[in-house]
Amino acid sequence: MNPTEIKKLILKSQKTDCDTKEIARQLEAKGVSFDFSKDFNNKILSRLSDRTVSMIPESDFTRTLNTVFYRIAITGIAAIVFLMISIYLMEGSVSINSLLGMGNLYDESVLCLLTGI
Amino acid sequence: MNVSYRQADEDMLVKASLKGDTTAFGEIVNRYRRLVARTVKGMLGDTVFAEDIGQEVFVKLYYSLPEFRGEARLSTYIQKIAVNLTLNEIKRRKRMFSLFLSKGNNEMYEYEIPDEESSDKREAKELVNKALMQLDPKFRIVVVMRMLQGYSTKETAEILKLPLGTVLSRLSRAQEQLKEILQKL
Repeated sequence: MNPTEIKKLILKSQKTDCDTKEIARQLEAKGVSFDFSKDFNNKILSRLSDRTVSMIPESDFTRTLNTVFYRIAITGIAAIVFLMISIYLMEGSVSINSLLGMGNLYDESVLCLLTGI
Repeated sequence: MNVSYRQADEDMLVKASLKGDTTAFGEIVNRYRRLVARTVKGMLGDTVFAEDIGQEVFVKLYYSLPEFRGEARLSTYIQKIAVNLTLNEIKRRKRMFSLFLSKGNNEMYEYEIPDEESSDKREAKELVNKALMQLDPKFRIVVVMRMLQGYSTKETAEILKLPLGTVLSRLSRAQEQLKEILQKL
């Protein structure tokens, strides 16, 4: 191997007016070639067979279902956020007690409510 | 049914793969494995990690085939996947190394050039690998696309999804860096 020749090819490949395909071919002929191991194909095929994802194209029904799901999910999230804000404004916090509507209740008043005394 | 796909065109291979024919997909792997190897190993070095990323490229290709509309060539589509996964891997490793180790960038890569190659070829490959690994990844990818893949500046810009001007400026910066690197090698 002549290192100077390889170095020249490397630098030449970065010039805008050079024939890059020819340089790549020359480098490959000099040993600068890359490939994967011999059992590369088998490894991929076994990885694919391990996965159970089907290649069946998405049907119209599934697509519609997905769209509907996203719309419902977004509306749901918006409703939850709105509810949290309104609870915060009314109760002054978003603790579990506030969420259950017991933010302003004392233990004694709970006992009174439950026992009727 | 045992079908030979050696003579089959790309379109036929894609259609058969979409139907779940792994023999057809095996032929796609066979045709493009060297193309992917040049990008992945050119960027990550001739390592076991590169082999894993190479596999990931084809697995991702298999599952994204329904999105392939045939507007671009299959080789370009595969090349884009390879570039994305390789750059993501470099970012991931950079993050990991910056969190746990204070190693230099070059130490992230080890060379594992197979013994079966003649010493001349091994030396040539090692020289190219060493030069590439000392380049910043954003310059390295441009060099790999041109030097190893033989792409023109326009094709490189298209695959990397970069403006032509950016590719040209990176090319010129890469050339300056390479001159310095090669002087030391």
